[in-house]
Amino acid sequence: MTECVVELDGVWKVFGAAADDTIAAAKSEGLTKAEALAKFQTVIGVRDASFEVARGEIFCIMGLSGSGKSTLVRHVNRLIEPSAGTIRVLGEDVGAMSPKVLREMRAKHIGMVFQHMALMPHRSVLDNVAYPLEIRDIPKSKRWAISEYTLGLVDLAGYEDRLPKELSGGMQQRVGIARALASDPEILLMDEPFSALDPLIRLQLQDQFKTLVRDLNKSTLFITHDLDEAIRIGHRIAIMKDGVIVQIGTPEEIVTSPADDYVREFVQGISRLKLVKAHTIMTPLNGSPPPGDAIRVDGEADLDALIDVSVGTTHPLVVQEAGQDVGTIDKTVLLRGIQGGKA
Amino acid sequence: MTMTLDETPKSGGPQEGATGAVRDIEVDRETLDASIAEFAGPNADYYAKAFHTIHDTTGWFPRTFNRAAALAGPFWAAARGAWGIFWAFLILEIIAFVQIGRGTWGELGADQLVQADRQAARAADFQTRADEAIAAGEDGTRFQTLADNLGRAAERSREAAEAAAADAQLILLTGLAMLLVLRLAQGFYANIVYEAQYSRWRVTPDAVPSGLSKRNLFLGAALGLVVIPLTVYRFTVEGVADWITEFPADPDIYSTSARWLEGVIDDAARSGAGAFDGIVLLVRRVLDAISLALIGTPWLVVMSVIIVVGWRAAGPRVAIFTAAALAYIAFLGYWEIAMETVALVGAAVVLCVIIGIPLGIWFGKSKRAYSFAEPVLDLMQTLPAFVYLIPIIAFFGTGNPPGILATIIFGMPPVIRLTALGMRGVPDTIKEAATAFGATRWQLLKDVELPLALPSIMTGVNQTILMCLSMVVIISLIGGGGLGQVILEALQFAAKGPGLLGGFAILFVAMVIDRIVQGAFRRADQR
Repeated sequence: MTECVVELDGVWKVFGAAADDTIAAAKSEGLTKAEALAKFQTVIGVRDASFEVARGEIFCIMGLSGSGKSTLVRHVNRLIEPSAGTIRVLGEDVGAMSPKVLREMRAKHIGMVFQHMALMPHRSVLDNVAYPLEIRDIPKSKRWAISEYTLGLVDLAGYEDRLPKELSGGMQQRVGIARALASDPEILLMDEPFSALDPLIRLQLQDQFKTLVRDLNKSTLFITHDLDEAIRIGHRIAIMKDGVIVQIGTPEEIVTSPADDYVREFVQGISRLKLVKAHTIMTPLNGSPPPGDAIRVDGEADLDALIDVSVGTTHPLVVQEAGQDVGTIDKTVLLRGIQGGKA
Repeated sequence: MTMTLDETPKSGGPQEGATGAVRDIEVDRETLDASIAEFAGPNADYYAKAFHTIHDTTGWFPRTFNRAAALAGPFWAAARGAWGIFWAFLILEIIAFVQIGRGTWGELGADQLVQADRQAARAADFQTRADEAIAAGEDGTRFQTLADNLGRAAERSREAAEAAAADAQLILLTGLAMLLVLRLAQGFYANIVYEAQYSRWRVTPDAVPSGLSKRNLFLGAALGLVVIPLTVYRFTVEGVADWITEFPADPDIYSTSARWLEGVIDDAARSGAGAFDGIVLLVRRVLDAISLALIGTPWLVVMSVIIVVGWRAAGPRVAIFTAAALAYIAFLGYWEIAMETVALVGAAVVLCVIIGIPLGIWFGKSKRAYSFAEPVLDLMQTLPAFVYLIPIIAFFGTGNPPGILATIIFGMPPVIRLTALGMRGVPDTIKEAATAFGATRWQLLKDVELPLALPSIMTGVNQTILMCLSMVVIISLIGGGGLGQVILEALQFAAKGPGLLGGFAILFVAMVIDRIVQGAFRRADQR
């Protein structure tokens, strides 16, 4: 997780004529969103956002509606022009690209999934998935082969010749994901992809998506208004409020040390069971050999899973990472871990 | 959790501090009164009380009576800015005033009196002629009978006049009763109407008049003082001045403007002759090509093609109907002339589509262009065809090509409008998705916008075809050929037989085209 595929540096987006004045005033005297509206008739959409997404990482941006998260993500493929700041994708400055280079970057390196699917109703599922390839003038035989393959990835083999309206919401969104994967991009932009789906389907798709992205080693920028979803999916989470990124951190960091009251209020209802991982609470082995007959658990296993395993045995659990025994967890450690921070 | 009206909230619950049951909750009178006072201005206390009465009661019967409204009538409404009831009651009261005027000073039965005098004079005339005839020793019975008859008629007219004059009192009473009822109605319903105005004022204080406005009172009074006396005078007095019943128009204004306009059109036609001739030539080319295909090709081929197209596009039933319609046209000898009509419509539709769809795409994408174009499109559709036939003759002459141009003016707006509508109806999300996958503007148009707008565009083309068909008869007025000419000739000689036969031929042409096109579009929709 060292190579950085998406990099935003001091990005501002201000809607309205006096954008530059607003930015200058906001930088020098800390103009708020309401003041900007009153003074310059401008709306601050994104305020000084900087972050990096590493290769293979799922980076979630969480915020309520109107917090600027959808605006922010559209800067990455320049569907929206920034008012200030630079955006680099795979090392290239997006703002400096010519229209042709920009289109090529969008077609080859970035796949996008939308909240309302945005499938073309007049095209079959197969042709919808093949559309990014069609734009790039890839011959039909090739793009049909690739589309069938990616539809297989999202478990939609056999639905190629249906129209989108014949599919359920969850299936349509899987078509959207297949379409984003079709041109095998390095980067996926997910704009609240699962928000319009019912909770059960949402959970299924979250798991499916997580596995898929790990297997294909895609870097993902995932927008959501649901902190549970962000925690479930994201390696790191950025929390946005009124266009400002309030905190960036791993789910554990966000839950265990919220940056301000706003974040604290958000994480109050979040259970630690699904968050805190075995390797966080374990007692390291430090060379001493683990008991041979003890049950092995993965370092990434959460407290919930540890409890399930732990009730079946009286022995401490042995934590493994990459096939190696690295630590142990006994009942005391586990209970303290659930309580949080008092180990 | 449910709560009935009688249930008292438990203390310590979420409604802590509320002491009574829900049904005992009272309106916050102080804020309401303040708001009503702000709305009503003068007499705020009275209106606050009246509005409370209205708010407290249900049912249709009014429980308040507004004396000011009853006394001042429409002028109360004007002062309070209730223009709706001002106009309604002003007009009703004028009717009452007219009755009162007629009953008081109107010369009822004046017409009959004049008639009676005239009849009496003629009776006297005949009587003298009868007397003369008898004096001369001739037979005077003929004149005598006429004189007697006329004398009786004069007597009847006089009786009618007296009866009408006797009605005067009744008319006066009717008028007074009507006025009383109207004033009572205003008194009873004024507060209800005013309360409704207050409710609207609460939502949009800037758009709804409030308070007692001197300016409005003055305006209402001025209107009333002009309208009431003039109208009452017109309807109650015999032999009113001409300027009241007839607008004093100056014929010079008309003739100068007509002459000036004629000069302008002549100048424009002369200076732009080259361009206009070019347009005519272009239209003629299109028309000639289509005519050649329809008339030059052997009739058997054209008929078979039309029937097969009907079959393929709209199914066997339409094909059978098409064959029957074509047989009617052919057996009556209308074949060539009907094909000329089809060529005229075809040329107009082709030009409408070629010009209209790109314009529609442009207007769909640019709001500004559309806002400029919309009034022009409205004008093209609302202007009666007869009005623009004249400038078309001036600029393009007569014959088929100018006829096609007139047809295009009438027929093009639907395809432009519906193309623009379809373009604007394409969801932004789908356009954004295509852009996000690297589509160029051309690819966006070709792959997303046009396919999604297609149903709307097809509806537009269909409407354009129907509009063009309806112009076929009208363009025969400026020398357009085809079946329209048959109808026009029949109309000029009032020839019923030829007119009806030609009319049915046009009907069949229109129905065949409409059936085939609609069938084709319906199939395309299902796909």
